[in-house]
Amino acid sequence: MSMTIALVGNPNSGKTTLFNALTGANQHVGNWPGVTVERKEGQTRYKNQVYTVVDLPGTYSLGAFSEDEVVAREFILTGNPDVVINVVDATNIERNLYLTTQLLEMGAKVVVALNMVDEAEAREISVDEKALTKRLGIPVIPTVASRRRGMDELMEAATAVMYAPLNGHARLSYGESIDRKIAELKNLLTKEDFAYPPGWLALKLLEGDAYAQSVVDQSQTLQGSPAYGRFWNEVAAHAEDYQLEIVDSRYKFVGEITKDTVRRPKVAVQTTTDRVDRVLTHKYWGMPIFAVIMFIVFQLTFVIGEDLLGEVMVTGVDYIGEVFESLLLAVHAPQWLIDFTANGIVAGVGAVIEFVPLIVILYMLMGFLEDSGYMARAAYVMDNTMRLVGLQGKTFISMIVGFGCNVPGVMATRTLESKKDRMIAILINPFMSCGAKIPIYLVFIAAFFPSHGGLILFSVYALGIAIAFLMGKIFSKTLFKGESSHFIMELPPYRKPTLRNVLRNMWDNVSGFLTRAGTTIFAVVSLLWVLAVLPAGVEPYGAESILGRIGLLIAPIFKPAGFGSWQAAVGLFSGIAAKEAVVATLGMVYAGVEAGTELVAAIREVFTPLTAVSFMVMTLLYTPCAATLGTIRKETGSTKWALFSAVYTFTIAWVLAVFIFQVGSLLGFS
Amino acid sequence: MLKQLLIEINNADYVSMLNLAGKLDRPVSLVEEGFAELVRLGYLAEDAGSNCYDLPCGKCPYASLCQKEPLKTWTITKKGRALLEGYQAAV
Repeated sequence: MSMTIALVGNPNSGKTTLFNALTGANQHVGNWPGVTVERKEGQTRYKNQVYTVVDLPGTYSLGAFSEDEVVAREFILTGNPDVVINVVDATNIERNLYLTTQLLEMGAKVVVALNMVDEAEAREISVDEKALTKRLGIPVIPTVASRRRGMDELMEAATAVMYAPLNGHARLSYGESIDRKIAELKNLLTKEDFAYPPGWLALKLLEGDAYAQSVVDQSQTLQGSPAYGRFWNEVAAHAEDYQLEIVDSRYKFVGEITKDTVRRPKVAVQTTTDRVDRVLTHKYWGMPIFAVIMFIVFQLTFVIGEDLLGEVMVTGVDYIGEVFESLLLAVHAPQWLIDFTANGIVAGVGAVIEFVPLIVILYMLMGFLEDSGYMARAAYVMDNTMRLVGLQGKTFISMIVGFGCNVPGVMATRTLESKKDRMIAILINPFMSCGAKIPIYLVFIAAFFPSHGGLILFSVYALGIAIAFLMGKIFSKTLFKGESSHFIMELPPYRKPTLRNVLRNMWDNVSGFLTRAGTTIFAVVSLLWVLAVLPAGVEPYGAESILGRIGLLIAPIFKPAGFGSWQAAVGLFSGIAAKEAVVATLGMVYAGVEAGTELVAAIREVFTPLTAVSFMVMTLLYTPCAATLGTIRKETGSTKWALFSAVYTFTIAWVLAVFIFQVGSLLGFS
Repeated sequence: MLKQLLIEINNADYVSMLNLAGKLDRPVSLVEEGFAELVRLGYLAEDAGSNCYDLPCGKCPYASLCQKEPLKTWTITKKGRALLEGYQAAV
């Protein structure tokens, strides 16, 4: 029977690469008995001898916290490996050695493969492996598994340890008091024949290890022993202190042995990130700076997206429409197909596509902020404000996601622990203006506020956030009372966004929107076109069509808000299917009335600046799209909350739109 | 170190591993391990902040607009709070 080598190490320490380097193609994959953890085993040959190599699950510790930890430690303790190769990432050596200390505690025969030494050298980290060998009392062999460097030396050391008796291991001290307790407990445990080393079992019991406890609980001898009972009662009172002291002793040990064996380049404690953060996350300045940055983003969007690219897209869409129409005429296609293509698809889907450059620029700039690490600061800056209005700071993270799409925005609320925080976060997420609503604002901005595009778009987003905060405060005082939990977030260091990433984001955005336009929007527009030309005999796109009748039925609701036309009503109605459909529908119904009418020009004829603002506020806040409502239902597990969300958002949108129109009219705006 | 780390986390508004390492005079990677250990022992709850969980991003047309690198957050658990309160009472 061949000797067994177990490989153990932290995730990402290069353990699997080393396993592959040792075993090549001679490996097979299975599962550990009783669990779903993968078991990889292979064979390696060294000096004409075949060895079985078992790749244990990657783990940071050998406690009983996860299945991976339990599987790894069970194999080391009871699977009888002849030697354990502990793969240690040289670039992250201190953390990795924490696991090494636990292997030493187990009394296993260990060899350290100090892996990725090339990367460590590149980062100017030097490890004195000879001194480390001396301090640990076990061989430390430098390796680069990805290049098969150090494999022979590693096998040489592993086989030497395998055949030699165990001695020379460094022994950890946990302080006089705990060391004494371990010795006492070890004496008691030796009265029973456990499958585990009594010293290790004693340590784990003091550490509060549930699995070790269950093993000892099964011993009749110990459970009936008064000495054990007395000992345990005494220990139980200090269980938490022992646990923390044992862990701290391991850290102390690692700290001591790496102090003079590991050299790293000096890193200033006060980094550039810290200095920039002092300004950007300032208690008072953080919020205004965030607002100014977002304002600049919206301004730039219009300068780059509209002024430089806008006309190109409009001309392109018109050209494609003309080409399609000519082609269909040339092949003598039926009139309905020509009408469907020109007035349905090109006018509807084209109206959405025309705004792709602006959307792409906006999200490219947002992506730039995120890649730089600033969006994490935004969430942190908003945390204080969120807490002031009774919301959990983490809610803003889901709100940021909602700026892209409310579906993942609602899903992102799963990170909130308390039901109260989560319900509020779900209900306010639809007020975050998603990407699909942008074409609506852009049409109205182009029609009425072309020289103030950035300011208007910024105001729309800010209004959405303000309403979300207001409703959050109301919900936390009424429907979902209770304390919000405090959390701490990790702020990643600032990074320089790469051109490759920026271009990649742009492409992703373009393809994302075009896919959406070619699927969902196409389907919605096709359905609406059918409703706009039926029943047969009525004037297409007229008030007598099915679409017109639906519009006429609901239009009176919007009359107090200043946009009581059936076209505006069906636009909003179709937006419940998908928000882009609002512009697509408006594009279709206005193009259908008078062939060739540009949407922006048509909007100018029907709306006024005041009703345009009122309409934008309505679309910002009203009923979320069907996909979002479905997600709310799924995430809350209740149709009632989905319906509540649909109704309350509509009510707020309507009240605010009516307020804007009525007050605006009274003040003499038109 | 663990208790000190928990106290520093409790006093901080946000986490900078480098700052904490400086304050505790330990290497950054050991501070990272300390966080992991506090989670394992139940004093901290970690949330890696995955956005969509079971929703495959590939099918979402807005995937590229999503937060690409979810924020990592921690909450001090009841057990952690009790430890801090015990420590404060002792001091």
